[in-house]
Amino acid sequence: MKTINKITSQKWFPMLVWLLAAAVIWELGAAVVDASKRTPENVLPHIWQIVGAAYSSRRVNSGQTAAQLVLASAGKTLSRAAVGFLIGTLSGFVLALIMKISKIVEKTIFPYLMIIQMIPILGMAPIILSITGDINTSRVVIAAILTFYPVATGTLAGFNSVEHEKYDLMYSYAANKFTVYTKVLIPYSIPYFFTGLKIAAPMAITASILVDTLQGDGGLGTLLSQSLKHAMSIYVFWLIVIFAAFVGIFSSKLMEIIEYLVLPHKRIRIFGKEAAVWAADAKGKKVFCGEFMRIRR
Amino acid sequence: MTNEKREIEIRIKDLGMLFKDSRGGDIAALTGVNLDIYKGEFVSLLGPSGCGKTTLLRLVADLLEPTEGSIHIGDRLPREVRLDQKLGMVFQSPVLFDWRTVKKNVELPLEVMKFEKNERSKIADSMLEMVGLTKFANHYPNQLSGGMQQRVNIARSLAVRPELLLMDEPFSALDEFTKEKLHEDLLRIWKKTNKTVIFVTHNIQEAVFLSDRVCVLSPHPGRLSGIVDIDLQRPREIGIKETARFNELVTKVRNTFDGGSL
Repeated sequence: MKTINKITSQKWFPMLVWLLAAAVIWELGAAVVDASKRTPENVLPHIWQIVGAAYSSRRVNSGQTAAQLVLASAGKTLSRAAVGFLIGTLSGFVLALIMKISKIVEKTIFPYLMIIQMIPILGMAPIILSITGDINTSRVVIAAILTFYPVATGTLAGFNSVEHEKYDLMYSYAANKFTVYTKVLIPYSIPYFFTGLKIAAPMAITASILVDTLQGDGGLGTLLSQSLKHAMSIYVFWLIVIFAAFVGIFSSKLMEIIEYLVLPHKRIRIFGKEAAVWAADAKGKKVFCGEFMRIRR
Repeated sequence: MTNEKREIEIRIKDLGMLFKDSRGGDIAALTGVNLDIYKGEFVSLLGPSGCGKTTLLRLVADLLEPTEGSIHIGDRLPREVRLDQKLGMVFQSPVLFDWRTVKKNVELPLEVMKFEKNERSKIADSMLEMVGLTKFANHYPNQLSGGMQQRVNIARSLAVRPELLLMDEPFSALDEFTKEKLHEDLLRIWKKTNKTVIFVTHNIQEAVFLSDRVCVLSPHPGRLSGIVDIDLQRPREIGIKETARFNELVTKVRNTFDGGSL
């Protein structure tokens, strides 16, 4: 009983349940489709068929195996998504900073930022493509636009939630504006900035895949539509779907890992929400640190 | 203690503070406050919410500008003292910076004031020793209890060696046990550093236990309704709260308060 309790209280346990449930439902669906005597792989193949395709050495297209094909296209898509993501991150942060420094800029720009977010990516992508005339540039631009919004709004929300006492304190030190930004506002906003990054990272990847489908110039999206239309191997399609899903989740997790590395005070969460915190003092002796304070967020 | 021999540090003359309400009318947060505070004195500003005690403290701290009268600290205005970085502020919440270790929090004002790195570290170490948190120098604020966080706050306010220590209900969010411990600690630190302290509180026992003088403020409009000299011997220990004199003083303070339509 104790072991069962221990397992079910683990953080990864709900995720495992979800994964297993999804796999069971998937397999039930696949079995039904299989029994209906149609070509099952076109609708819903069994999981082992997809996994098999990933390891299969059968050449599906121009001498490449399915896995090689997917990875090669992924390189094209993801590298552009990454460049766009970096540009969007940087410009989002800088704009948030400018909006914080100038109320006029905030009032003029902030309400209209939302509009960018509301235009469907499907509508925006062809426009960007016709403006830039280059699929690679379009990928970068679209990924940057989508990254920009959550980063800018997240960071600005961080700037705006600094408690008033912190300003009063800095005022009593006769600190200048520059010091207030470098010592208070910017470090305070970093967790909010990372929240923006965690939302933006998978979006940049999705957008980049979507832009691929506009033009047959390689990339995951191109391969996705080709694999549906041509009989290269239907499993390539499913491989891409699953690969893209995992990369999306991973990109968000990656931001979490970077946040964890950058912000040492957030690591305390790892010890869990125990009633008390113990830590080692300089001599390695256990020291009682007092009651555990609830951490923001 | 004869006051005549002592040097006056803060002179508050005919001080008044009007705020505008939403309809453009005036609200008198403070009217006609006259108060001299001596060097090295521990003075409490006591009263219920809305009596203007925090307003008075913020005026001394140059966080507000008076609409009437004047405040002089020595022969300078609060603004000059603040710009000279001679003010120590302690707020009700610890206002610690999550991303800085305890020691780095104490060093923050010294960074703002461009102290050398070694000097910063030395001062922070001695301040942490004074508040008994040397072991926790490298912890983060969210690893500390509320009482310990408030100690860091006090250590930080003293790090700049202020002329004046201004405390705005620093212990009101703490439990009774922690509060008593910090009262004794604060008195010890005060004796050691000889700072002039202005301490805002709404707790009568707290004011009487800590102070040389208790300034009682009353609301509608905010005003100074009386000053009670606390002639309990020092150093004070918790036991003093059981004495008859302590209770007499508490009663005297209570009677000085003019609640009106409170």
